[in-house]
Amino acid sequence: MKGNHDKEMSLKDAVGKFLSDGGSFSFGGIGAREPVAVAHEIIRQKKKDLTFITATTLDSSNILLGAGCIKRLEMAYSWIGVVGSGLNLRRAVEKGIPRKVEVVDYSNFAASCRFLAGAMNIPYMPLRSLLGSDIPKYNKDIIITNDPYSGDKLALVPAANPDVAFIHVQKADVLGNCQIWGILANDVNIARAAKRLVITCEEIVPTSEIRKNPNATAIPCYCVDAVAKVPFGSHPLFVAGCYWSDIPFRRNFMMDDSTQEGFEKWLDEWVYGVKDFNEYLGKIGRDRLQKLVEMELDNYKIPELR
Amino acid sequence: MADYKYSTAELMAVTCSYELKDQELVFVGVGIPMMAGLLANKTHARNMIIVYEGGGMGAISRRLAFTISDNSTTDNALSAGEMWRVFADTQRGLVDTGVLGGAQIDKYGNLNTTAIIGDKTYQEPATRLPGSGGGNDIASLCGKTIIVMRLGKSRFVSKVDYITSTGYVAGGDSREKSGLKWGGPCCVVTDKCVLRFDKTSREMYLDAVYPGVTVEEVKDNVQWDLKTADNIIQIPPPPMDYLEKIRKMDPNGIILGGKTITQKESFDDFYHKMKKSYQETDIFL
Repeated sequence: MKGNHDKEMSLKDAVGKFLSDGGSFSFGGIGAREPVAVAHEIIRQKKKDLTFITATTLDSSNILLGAGCIKRLEMAYSWIGVVGSGLNLRRAVEKGIPRKVEVVDYSNFAASCRFLAGAMNIPYMPLRSLLGSDIPKYNKDIIITNDPYSGDKLALVPAANPDVAFIHVQKADVLGNCQIWGILANDVNIARAAKRLVITCEEIVPTSEIRKNPNATAIPCYCVDAVAKVPFGSHPLFVAGCYWSDIPFRRNFMMDDSTQEGFEKWLDEWVYGVKDFNEYLGKIGRDRLQKLVEMELDNYKIPELR
Repeated sequence: MADYKYSTAELMAVTCSYELKDQELVFVGVGIPMMAGLLANKTHARNMIIVYEGGGMGAISRRLAFTISDNSTTDNALSAGEMWRVFADTQRGLVDTGVLGGAQIDKYGNLNTTAIIGDKTYQEPATRLPGSGGGNDIASLCGKTIIVMRLGKSRFVSKVDYITSTGYVAGGDSREKSGLKWGGPCCVVTDKCVLRFDKTSREMYLDAVYPGVTVEEVKDNVQWDLKTADNIIQIPPPPMDYLEKIRKMDPNGIILGGKTITQKESFDDFYHKMKKSYQETDIFL
C-alpha cells in the first residue's frame, strides 16, 4: 500500500532512496516531459550497472549512457532527435566507451505493450507487429508463436516491471495525484508497472485543484511513492503548456558531445559542477527560462494551466 | 523546367504529399514526412488526420513539430492520448497510411534503422543507429506505407544489414507468410525519382523521375539491377502554391533546411526567429 499521505521529498532523497546500483528503471515522456533533472541527479549520485527500460527516450537517457550509469538498455529508440545523433549511444555500443552497454531492441509498440502487460500484472502481451523483421531474431526475449484460437502468427513480448520509474508532470498534489497535458506517451502504464514511482512536477497544487478536473488525472496517488517539485525539470526539452525546447542549448551540447572528453567536460560544467538542478537552472539564467515559457505560451495554451 | 528555384527537400515533400489522400488517418515521422503531411493537410487533403507516436492526433499546430511527441503535436488537437493506444488503433486497422524513412533499403522495401553491422556484429556494429522507434510497427500495421529516402548506393543496397521495418521480406507472398496480414510499402519517394513495387514479385521498380533526372542516373545509385516501368512518368516541377505553403510553414528552414541546428546563433537570435515565425503561422489555423 502506497497510501494517501503527503509524499513530498527532495529529488536527491528520492533518487537515493528508490534507485539502487544494479537496479532497473524507466522514464516517462518522450522528448517532451522527460525527467532530465532526475537524469542529472542519477549521474551526480554515480549510480551504476543500471538497466534502463524504455520505448523512446532522447536527451535524458543519452547523458546517462555517456556518464556510464547504464549496463543494459532495453529500448526501441535512443537518439537526440532532430538536433543530432545519439553519439553517447554510438560510443557505448560501438566502442564500449565509457563502458560496454548491452542493447536489447524492441519497437515502440512492443515496448509500450511491455508496460501495458506490466501494468495489468500479466507476464506478456501478444502483438501483430515485429513479424518478418530481424528484431525477434536478435532479441531472444521475443517469442514468435501461433495464436491457440485462430492459428495466426503473433509476437510475444515480456512484461516490464521496472524497480522504479520517474515521471515528470505539469501538476501534482503532495499525495501524488498527477495531471498531465499534451502527449501521455506510456506514462499511465509505466506508473502502474513500476514497483516504485517518483513524480517530479512543475507545480504542486492543492488536492482541491485536482478534484476540479478528475478526467485529467492520468496517475492516481495510489501508484506514487514520492513527489518532488522540480520546475523546468525537463530543460532543455519541452513541457506542454509550460515551456518550449532550448534548441541552442542542445545544439551546443551536441558540439561538446562530439568526443567523450568533450562530453565529460560538459558533465563537469553542467552536472558535477552544480550542487543540484536548481543551481543548473541558475546557470542557464532566469531571463532565458522565461523566454522559453513565452515561446510556449505564444502557441500552446492550456486554459486551466497558469 | 520551371523558371523558379526549389530544393530537393521541397520537391520530396511535395511529391510525398501527393500520396496522402483526404479523409485518411496518417502516421508521420519528423522531417520531410511531417512537412509532407502538413502540406497535404493544407492543400488537397484538408480532412486528413495526422497521428503522432507520442499520442497526439489531429493537431492544428501553430508551429512545426520538432519530434513525434513535442508540444505542438497536441496543439489544437482532436485527441492527446497514449503511445500504446495509437499503435493499438493501428493494429486494429484504423490507420490508413504511414510515412517512414530509413538508413538502408533493399529491393523488397525492407528498411534498416538499427545498425550498419558491416563485418562486425549486432552487439558491436560498425555504426549503431537509433533503432526502430515506431518504424517497425508503422511498416507492419498501417494499411500502406510510403518511404522517403535520398537515393544513393550506400542506402539502396542488395541486402540490408538488419531488417528493422518489414517490407515485402523476400518478395512474392513472403510478407503474408511471415504473419503480416496486410500492408506493405506502396512507394519510395527519393530526391531523384519515385519507385513503386510490382504487384506479384513485390520488387521495387522505377516509376517516375523528377525534371532533369535520367534513368541511368537512378540506376547508377542503386546496388542491384533496378527494373524500370515501360513508360517512365516525368514528374512536373512542384507547383508554386505548394512551395509557398512550405516556405510559410517553415520560414526559417528549420525542418527542410536544418538551419537552427547547423547555424551557430545566440539564444536571443533563436528566440526572435521563433517569435517571428509564430506571427506568420496563420496558415496553420
